[in-house]
This record gives sequence, structure tokens and C-alpha cells, in this order.
Amino acid sequence: MDGLGLYFRLIRVAIQARLQYRADFLAGIIGVIVMNTVTVSLISIMVSRFRHINGWTMWEMVFLYCLWLLGHSLYSFFFWHIRALEEYLVEGTFDQFLLRPASPFIMFLAREVQYIGIADLTFAALGLSLAYRNLDLQWTGVQWLFFGLAVIAGTLIETTLVLMIACISFWTGRSRRASQLLMRLNVMVQYYPIDIFGYTFRLIVTGLIPVAFMNYYPTLMLLGKLDPQSPWSWLGYMSPVVALILVILASGIWHLALRRYSSAGG
Amino acid sequence: MKIFLSFARQAFHNSAVYRFEFWMRLFWVYLLMYSVYWVWKTLYTQSPGAFGVSLEQMVTYAILAMMLDIVLDVGPEWYMANQVRTGAIDTDLMKPLDFHFHMLARSVGEVLFGLGILAVPSFAIGYFLFDLQPPGDGSTSLLFAISLIFSFFVLFHISFLIGILTMITLDIRNIAWAYYSLISFFSGQIVPLWLFPDALRKISEVLPFQAIYYIPVSIYIRNLKGTAALQAVGLQVFWAIVLAFIARWAWNRVHTRLTVQGG
Repeated sequence: MDGLGLYFRLIRVAIQARLQYRADFLAGIIGVIVMNTVTVSLISIMVSRFRHINGWTMWEMVFLYCLWLLGHSLYSFFFWHIRALEEYLVEGTFDQFLLRPASPFIMFLAREVQYIGIADLTFAALGLSLAYRNLDLQWTGVQWLFFGLAVIAGTLIETTLVLMIACISFWTGRSRRASQLLMRLNVMVQYYPIDIFGYTFRLIVTGLIPVAFMNYYPTLMLLGKLDPQSPWSWLGYMSPVVALILVILASGIWHLALRRYSSAGG
Repeated sequence: MKIFLSFARQAFHNSAVYRFEFWMRLFWVYLLMYSVYWVWKTLYTQSPGAFGVSLEQMVTYAILAMMLDIVLDVGPEWYMANQVRTGAIDTDLMKPLDFHFHMLARSVGEVLFGLGILAVPSFAIGYFLFDLQPPGDGSTSLLFAISLIFSFFVLFHISFLIGILTMITLDIRNIAWAYYSLISFFSGQIVPLWLFPDALRKISEVLPFQAIYYIPVSIYIRNLKGTAALQAVGLQVFWAIVLAFIARWAWNRVHTRLTVQGG
């Protein structure tokens, strides 16, 4: 608990540091709104051309994207700089963390915030509520609870995946390109329901790099699209479990990487 | 020219040094080819009449556009932003070599690396895996090659301008996302322009971005041919020249300012 207290104290400092740059903030907010508008426009161009995409209507697709975006917005607010670990290592900033009498992980995580995540959050909330109304959804308390869990799971899945890829740079010195490409894969999953892809791809985004649990599987459950006949329908409930497994895995890799880094640094 | 080649060679070698990264990139290229293939195949099976082109052309368009995006977009703006942030831009400016020229040479080296090692072999394998359209006859291929050169010039100069912008004002990360998404939208990289609603298509036709992916790829799949193709390449040349001039002008202004600040 001590670590958590320290984390939030440092986050407050990071927010104050960020607030120094007003123009930057504004440019960021505009940038993110442009990006999301482009994404939703692409979705609507596709859906208006083809009426539905493999049985997914316009608002179902918007729901799918915005559920992803909501989990992503929390990630981008608190954990965006994880991908910059490479620079921290090259510039020696990371060595400072190792010298301090606190967990280097907390020092690293609390180093920066990227509060353009607020724009993502707003956009996602707006999109989800519009989709909720247009799809005539009536969620029960349990479904709302699951929705909350799914969003947190989404954040954790993205964060841990980025962290694990960033850890590559402890060994090789570079990881930027690899994490850019994770983004690209993520983009495919956020736009389209994965049931339009072939078997191998679904297997990869479910089992190997489980980004489909950020939005696809929980969306099936939340929009009542789960097929009770399918032997795989339980996957719709698995996002929190997947997130937990990834957290354990990422923590293991982080500690391994850190041990190796300390020894290499002498 | 000799200097140009040596810088290009240097950039080529820099890219080649990081083996692991290369394998990662290769893995993702195949994954993306596969997923892009399925998106369009599913849509095509669902409503074959809505495309105006054959499935083979559509899949080839999508995969080629994706591949060109990975290969051509070498991101000189990130290099520039990084040099400014760390102060290493000094050493670049002290070189007895024009910076604009230097960046162009670097980018050419990286693009050639990507084309030779990544794009051409992957596309050849994709030809067998996903029934891609083979290159057309001599004149189509020649036109495609020329068009590709100009699409690189257009993209490079837009990136260079973004790099200049980050030099004078902002943190690049914030504008980068808006910039990349606008490019991928209006260049027809994700959805080809002929599928756009009329109003959006008109907008995209007056912007320079269509010169980046839409024109060369449309020439390749022969959706643009004959006079229309020649006109399209002419448009690319026009944008390449205009953007090169704007970039040159902007760079001269920023350069003076940088020098003054430096003392």
C-alpha cells in the first residue's frame, strides 16, 4: 500500500509538470479528436457501403471501437510512456530510478502522464452512450459490473503487452519498432470484429497476443451476441482472467529484465 | 551524388544492424497481409457488386497499400524531433552538407532497405498465398515504378515539413497521431478513394495525400490506366515539386532562426 501512496504522489507531480505546457495540451486534444473522428468515419464509410460487416451493424461496430477506446484511454493517460523505456535506458534516466530508495517500477510508472487520454475518454464515453441508446440496450446490474471489469481488463491487457515488448530493450537496446507494430495489430482489432478474419488470426489475437479480449469478446457478451451453441462462448467472460494472467507474466518478465540490466550495468 | 550515396548506404546499414527488430517487422508484415486479406475477402463475399473492381484487384490494392505504408514511411520527422530534443542537431548543421539533402539521403537508404529486404520478397510470397495480382506489362510496371518514386517524394516532403513544425513549436507525439490518421485516411491507404462518398472523395482529390498511396497502387492494379494514369502521375509530379519548394522555403526560414539562437 505504501507503494501505491507513493505512486499517486508522484503522479500528482507529473500532472503538475505536464500542466506547464498549455499549447501542447491543446494540440494533443485536437490531435486525438481528429484521429478518433477519422476512425469512426472509416467505419461508417465501410458500413454504409456494405450495410453490415459480417452481421455487425454500424452501432455495434461503434460500440466495439469505443469499448476498446475506453480501456485504451486509461492506458494512454497513465502508462503511455512505457513504450519510451528504450529512451529512458539510452539516456540514463532509468539509472536514476535504480539509485532511489523505492521500487524502480513505481518510479518509472509515475514518471509521466499523457493527459490527452482525456480526449479519448470523452470520445469513448460519448460513442458508447450513443451506441447504448441506438442499440436499445437494457443492461442488468451484473452486466454493468462486467462492463466495468472489462474496461479495466482492457487497460491492463494493453499496458502489460506494451510493457513486455518494451522490456525487449533491456536486452537489445531497441524496442520502438516492435511496439509500433503492436499498435498496428491493435488497430486491426479495434476497427473490425475478429470473426471476419481467418482462423489463424483469431487464434493469434486470442491466445498469443490476446488483444481481442480488450473489446471483441466482452462486446459479444455485452451486446448479447454470444452464440450459446458454440463451445467457445465462455471466452466472452474471460477478459478479467486474461488480464490477471498477463499481469503475472509481465511482472515476471520485468523482474527478470531488471536483474539482467543491473548486472550488465555493473 | 557520391555523398548522397554514402549517406543512403549508412542508413541502409543502420537498419540492417538490428536483426531482432527486422524479424519482428517481417512477422508483422505477414500478419497484416493475412488480416487485410481477410477483411476484404469477407466484405467481397458479402457484397461482390459494391466494389467496382475484382476481388483480386481489391486484395492486391489493400496489401500493396499496407506494404508501401510500412516501407515508405521511414519517419524523418522523428529523427529531426529527436535531434532537436537532445541538441544533437548542432552536429547535423555543422556538417558541410545541406540538411534537407542529408535527410533525403537517409530516407532513401531506409526505403531501399525496406523495399529490397521486406516489401519485394513479402509481396512475392503474398502472390502465392493470397492470389495477388502479378505486375502488369512493361509500360504499366514502368509507370508504377515512376509513380512510386514520386509518391516517396511527396511523403518525404510532407514528413519533412512536419519535422520542421516540431522543430519550432511542439512535442511531436501530439500532432503525430492526427497527422498519421489523416494521411492514412486521405491517401486511400486503408479504404480506397473510389469507395468514399462523393463529398469526401472531392476533398481527397484536392489534397496532396492521394499522391502517396492511392495513385501508385491504383496504377498497379490497373484501375487507373491509359491517359488517366498519365494524368495521375502528372499530378504527383506537381505535388512533389510544390511540396519540395514549400519545404525548402520553410527550412531556410527555420535554419536562419536556429543559427541566430545558437549564437
